[in-house]
Amino acid sequence: MTAVTDAPEATPAPPPAPATRHRRRLRVEPRYLILAVAAVIVAYLAIVPLGTMAVASLQSSFLGTGPVTWTFEHYVQTFTGAGFGSLVATSFEYAIAVAAAAVVVGFGLAWLVTRTNTPAKGFARVAALVPLIIPGILNTVAWALLFSPQTGPLNGVLRAAHLPVFDIYSLLGMIFVQTTHVTPVAYLMGVAAFTSMDSSLEEAALGSGARPARVFRTITLKLVRPAILSAALLMFIQTISTFEVPQLLGVPNHIFVFVSRMYEAIQSFPADYGTVAVIGIFVLFLAAVGLTVSRWVVRRSPTQTVTGKGFRPKVTDLGRWRWLGFAAFALFFVVTVVLPLAMLLWSSLLPTYSPPSVQALKTVSFKNYSTLFSSPSLLASVKNTAITALLAGVIVTVLTAIVAYITIKTKIRGRFLLDGLATVPIAVPSIVLGVGVLYWYLVAPLPFHLYGSLAILVIAFVTIGLPYGMRYIGPGLAQISDELEEAASASGAGWFHAFRRIYVPLLMPSLLAAFLYTTIVAFREISAAIFLYSQNTEVMSVQIYNLWSSGDYPVVAALGILMVVLLTIVVAIVRLIGGRVGLTEAR
Amino acid sequence: MIRLTGVVKQYVGRTSTGNAVDGIDIEVADGELVTLLGPSGCGKTTTLRLIAGLEKPNAGTITIDDQVVADPDGGVFLGAHRRPIGIVFQSYAIWPHMTVLENVMFPLRSQRPRSSKAVARTRAMEALDGVGLADFAQRPAPMLSGGQQQRVALARALVREPKVLLLDEPLSNLDAGLRDRMRDEIRAVQQRLGITTVFVTHDQDEALAVSDRVIVMDTGRIVESGLPQEIYAWPTAEFTARFLGVSNTMTGTVRSVSGDTVEISVAAGVLRCRACDGLSAGDGVSVFMRPESFRLSRRAKADTDWSGVIDFSIYQGDCWDYHVTLDSGESVKVRVYREKVGLSHGDQVYLEPDQDSALVMPESGFARRMTGEAAPRPVA
Repeated sequence: MTAVTDAPEATPAPPPAPATRHRRRLRVEPRYLILAVAAVIVAYLAIVPLGTMAVASLQSSFLGTGPVTWTFEHYVQTFTGAGFGSLVATSFEYAIAVAAAAVVVGFGLAWLVTRTNTPAKGFARVAALVPLIIPGILNTVAWALLFSPQTGPLNGVLRAAHLPVFDIYSLLGMIFVQTTHVTPVAYLMGVAAFTSMDSSLEEAALGSGARPARVFRTITLKLVRPAILSAALLMFIQTISTFEVPQLLGVPNHIFVFVSRMYEAIQSFPADYGTVAVIGIFVLFLAAVGLTVSRWVVRRSPTQTVTGKGFRPKVTDLGRWRWLGFAAFALFFVVTVVLPLAMLLWSSLLPTYSPPSVQALKTVSFKNYSTLFSSPSLLASVKNTAITALLAGVIVTVLTAIVAYITIKTKIRGRFLLDGLATVPIAVPSIVLGVGVLYWYLVAPLPFHLYGSLAILVIAFVTIGLPYGMRYIGPGLAQISDELEEAASASGAGWFHAFRRIYVPLLMPSLLAAFLYTTIVAFREISAAIFLYSQNTEVMSVQIYNLWSSGDYPVVAALGILMVVLLTIVVAIVRLIGGRVGLTEAR
Repeated sequence: MIRLTGVVKQYVGRTSTGNAVDGIDIEVADGELVTLLGPSGCGKTTTLRLIAGLEKPNAGTITIDDQVVADPDGGVFLGAHRRPIGIVFQSYAIWPHMTVLENVMFPLRSQRPRSSKAVARTRAMEALDGVGLADFAQRPAPMLSGGQQQRVALARALVREPKVLLLDEPLSNLDAGLRDRMRDEIRAVQQRLGITTVFVTHDQDEALAVSDRVIVMDTGRIVESGLPQEIYAWPTAEFTARFLGVSNTMTGTVRSVSGDTVEISVAAGVLRCRACDGLSAGDGVSVFMRPESFRLSRRAKADTDWSGVIDFSIYQGDCWDYHVTLDSGESVKVRVYREKVGLSHGDQVYLEPDQDSALVMPESGFARRMTGEAAPRPVA
């Protein structure tokens, strides 16, 4: 209303004249203490692995025994090396295709669930979340088995229909598998965007004589465009730094992307840490550009849509088409859940792998599961996974809630830097983060050793989870009108009280989403963990990888099924709590 | 009592930096309802937020009930939660995750010392009863109508019996009928409780209706302040006159001053007004006339009547607004009450200006009254 509220950045008072400065009482409010601690932790987590990576890229032999010299030779070798151009091209083709497909499918399904009368919504909501409980490595393995050139049951079907078999060990295969893997994340972001959108804006368009299709195109899509772009960039960056799909499906046919090239370099002897770091920094640069664009788009769009005034998401009547919406869900569910899980379940029940057949059915047994439950090392990995994942989820949720508050609701100087720091880990491939964390804690001048403890895994998982926490909590917080906090403040509530009573409950959907997602990411995480585990701190994903390497598919499948069951329990609990708090649809 | 002395609030924009509030002095007496009236961007909401403690002033002091709550030079700043205030926002800011009762209980459960749950519940129910919403206590807050949310906001602001009530355009999101009812309700509650109140609005009717005193603001400064009837009848600044809907403006020259009467010649004819200090023959003046300060007739009654033709007419229910083009070419708006038939386009009419209600100002305008100088205002 006034000039101040119109001005985007009303800043606090300029420093007073020196003569009066000494009279100013320096009272540190607990609020600032909390904010400062969170800021320092985030800065530490974000900078240290990056710094280690940068140092490694500039040293002639990082952690080597010989004398260390500073050099650009890794950069020169990498960028001028044969095949770097095609590496970039392949990586982009792969990541852009995945991002586009995931966003179209994810936001489409999100719209169906939140804004239409598609039937069986309860099922639809759960169905779209269920793929989250299948770790990437299991998903990849399952699809590799399903489309196995000789014995894959789906290729068997194609053959029977006289169609050409699908080669899963190709770029298209990689894109397909990675898309099934990341689409649920795009879906969750879509749900958040559609739920918080003021539907009176759409109704205003309907009232202006626009047909529903036009309203969807000109209003709905335009309003969620910042969220769409933001999601697409996230998918792109995540795909570029995900390990298992390119490694398992690309490498056998010599299709290399950034991540698999880095892994190859680290596996070679002697390990080429310089090249790993150079490519890592290159990916970091790409991600930085992407995030800058995303920030620019979001800044140019109105964000405060949830006000204190009545907030009621409305639904569109799809008429007969709603059954088509339901069919879309069913198909999504079959592709992302039923097929991979069925494949894993089938494999877990056989002593040795063979395609589904009546003959094989006779050999079905629970032998793999009894092997699993009688092995102390396998059971220890289950415990380790539960501890690290839940702890990482809690820490990330608390940290990012505070950081998001600083960056969005305060005018403290340096808040944009903090936001940047919390988002930085998104650009650090888990492999690089794993290496960075590992070597930092090997050389760090600390009075205690974290290497070989579960703490080092938690640190890595928290760092990986930070940007995702920010992505869930940031937009949610931006949509809560400042006046809701101001009203609490004017009611006599101190900052902490207002934060706890106003922001926490209103943010509960975002907080739960952040916790849920971080926990699940940590549960499934392998790329960093593979460098950080030691004999007593193996997590489930590492166990699966080790067993897979030794060709023990049936036990891999059994352990995978157990992992899925545990993740299902986590998701179910959060959903149960989630249903009772936060904004519920007004009837 | 609220006292603002030399309060400045700077804003730093992308393209420009300036003062949203530019050195204002305001005093609101105990039990008084003062309105801050002005257009968008005049600094009235910022002033309210400064009183509330939602903004930090860059200079000046703010005192509530003899307690200094903001004084940047002395390093004093109490946040909103440590001031004895209740506030109603334009958007109401009803917490959507709580029921109506929980919203109203919140201040009692947040303040120090904190009220017990039982006490908070009883008092919140009393407050809701006071705004006629006791039956809605258990409803989720988003499921109320605008007027009901507004009442919840008022109950919430008053429930812990603050020293000061701050209202930020509380009526602007309501429809017309409801707005009048809520306005009367707010005034009734304010008088019953005798609570010191600052009311921010851009609507002159609202301001005149509820206030003990009106402060007119423009570009971060106070233009003038006074009783509603004074401000309405005898604004001393052109800005106020225009803002308060004195829609007919003419320029003229002083012909003669004799005793308490001054004669002005304007294009349409001669106008006799009450004299103001500091005018002498030959001075250029601006003349302001309200639409209701003309007597309109179909036949000329005196030579001094201004003749003209109806351009168009607007029927308002209790009155007609006629837009009349005078023979001199100027166009004036005339409001006529208690007329059933009405006139239409092209009808010849004669206007007799009401001598007492014309406002005369030197073209440069009077010195502002905020400085404390006696305004050159005729005493009615």
